[in-house]
Amino acid sequence: MKRPIGTRAEINDPNAPAIKVEHLHKSFRLPTEQAFGLKQTIFNRLRGIKGYREQKVLKGLDFTVNQGEFLGIVGRNGSGKSTLLKILAGIYYPEKGSITVNGSLVPFIELGVGFNPELTGRENVYLNGALLGFSNEEMDAMYDEIWEFAELKDFQDQKLKNYSSGMQVRLAFSIAIRARGDILLLDEVLAVGDAAFQQKCNDYFENLKNNHQTVILVTHSMENVRKFCTRAILIDDGKIIKDGKPDKVADAYLKLWS
Amino acid sequence: MSIPRVLNRKNRILLKELTKTDFKLRYQGSVLGYLWALLRPLMMFAILYIVFAKLLRIGGDIPHYPVYLLCGTTMWSFFTECTSQGIQAIVNRGDLLRKISFPKYIVVVSATLTAVINMLINLGVIIIFALINGVAPSPTWLLAIPAIFELYLLSLGLAFLLGSINVKYRDITSIWDVCIQALFYAVPIIYPISMVASTSEVAAKIILLNPISQAIQDIRFGLITTETITTWNYLASPAVIIPIILVAATLIFGAITFRRKSKFFAEEV
Repeated sequence: MKRPIGTRAEINDPNAPAIKVEHLHKSFRLPTEQAFGLKQTIFNRLRGIKGYREQKVLKGLDFTVNQGEFLGIVGRNGSGKSTLLKILAGIYYPEKGSITVNGSLVPFIELGVGFNPELTGRENVYLNGALLGFSNEEMDAMYDEIWEFAELKDFQDQKLKNYSSGMQVRLAFSIAIRARGDILLLDEVLAVGDAAFQQKCNDYFENLKNNHQTVILVTHSMENVRKFCTRAILIDDGKIIKDGKPDKVADAYLKLWS
Repeated sequence: MSIPRVLNRKNRILLKELTKTDFKLRYQGSVLGYLWALLRPLMMFAILYIVFAKLLRIGGDIPHYPVYLLCGTTMWSFFTECTSQGIQAIVNRGDLLRKISFPKYIVVVSATLTAVINMLINLGVIIIFALINGVAPSPTWLLAIPAIFELYLLSLGLAFLLGSINVKYRDITSIWDVCIQALFYAVPIIYPISMVASTSEVAAKIILLNPISQAIQDIRFGLITTETITTWNYLASPAVIIPIILVAATLIFGAITFRRKSKFFAEEV
């Protein structure tokens, strides 16, 4: 179970770039056949079978994100975007290479992390808030605003399982946008909701951009890349194949299929 | 992982909120709700009391035997709940691990803290029963505190150790269930240790070297009756330190294993 480990460092230097990624590699061990469970593992050991195959996901990435940049990361399904985001967020460990994160980082890999259908809306708000790093007192202070923004005030004492999926997303989004950090990591959070909700998301991104917030956004929407990003990266097969102006990268992305 | 980081504000908030949620969810949707935290051990006690104290008439020579029995079963439930919940914690909270980055030990500790809350409620019940049964309040009650703490550290160590293996090999959950069953008879909870001692002193000594037995007997010694046979008053040799060493070793080994494996939990869970 010995695996090489890259490094992930956190620093706090107002003059340094927000994120620095050097020579990042990542692969996963995917179990072949049913290598789960003790029995199969022992059999595999005895037979000399590895029981897994190595899947290389990221094959040497180098890039720097400057402070105040709104970076879009685009690429086909399975190209390694989400893996990269999870490594940046500190959820996965880098296998080789190094990552330096400068300042506090707030990841939104998914909206409504920790939401539990058996709890009421109120309880879920506090739980989700705690996962984003808010104390009870801080949540008390912004509690009404959250429900106001989500337009769900009448439902706060209902169990979450009685919410529609759209309502859940609205609530989660209303909490998420309260989070403050030097760097925001966003993974496809815009992909849901009705037209009115989309408008709110757009306003939120507009706001982030105007405030020169450092953002890394993983998306499939070239419209959003062109509209909000100040720079974009195209990843294909675990490598950066294009890095530069959002328009150029969006064009290159669309050409992947032609 | 340095000490300031372990106890920083964000981690404390998270620990508190996760523990609260665990506790709420445990009794979610039941009519009696939190009362079950009290009722379950009391019912378990009623069964054991009828079978062992009334029908089989074991433990006649131990003063306050019903409370003595209740104390043992409560602490045993605490141990089993702590370990079972702790071992499951990482797998149960897999959704969180895959989506946010935080020190993984928090989910294990929060799962065991629910068991601690249950145990503290039951400790209140034991004390009330003890007073009703004619046990006089005494400064020896304080002796129970380090013994309970020791039992908790042992459970935590086991939860860290087995929980980190359980992420990859879910068989651990089933294996541990069987171990719990076996351990139950290896610890003098329903039978008095004096019964074993009268047939084989060596067997009694071996039983008392088990840290679970040692802790439970110490708790009984402190809370119920100083006539309790404990590891230190029965063995009366330097060997009494063995259970303590076992607890420390389990905790250290568990923590190291957990720390080493926790880097890959998000990928493997």
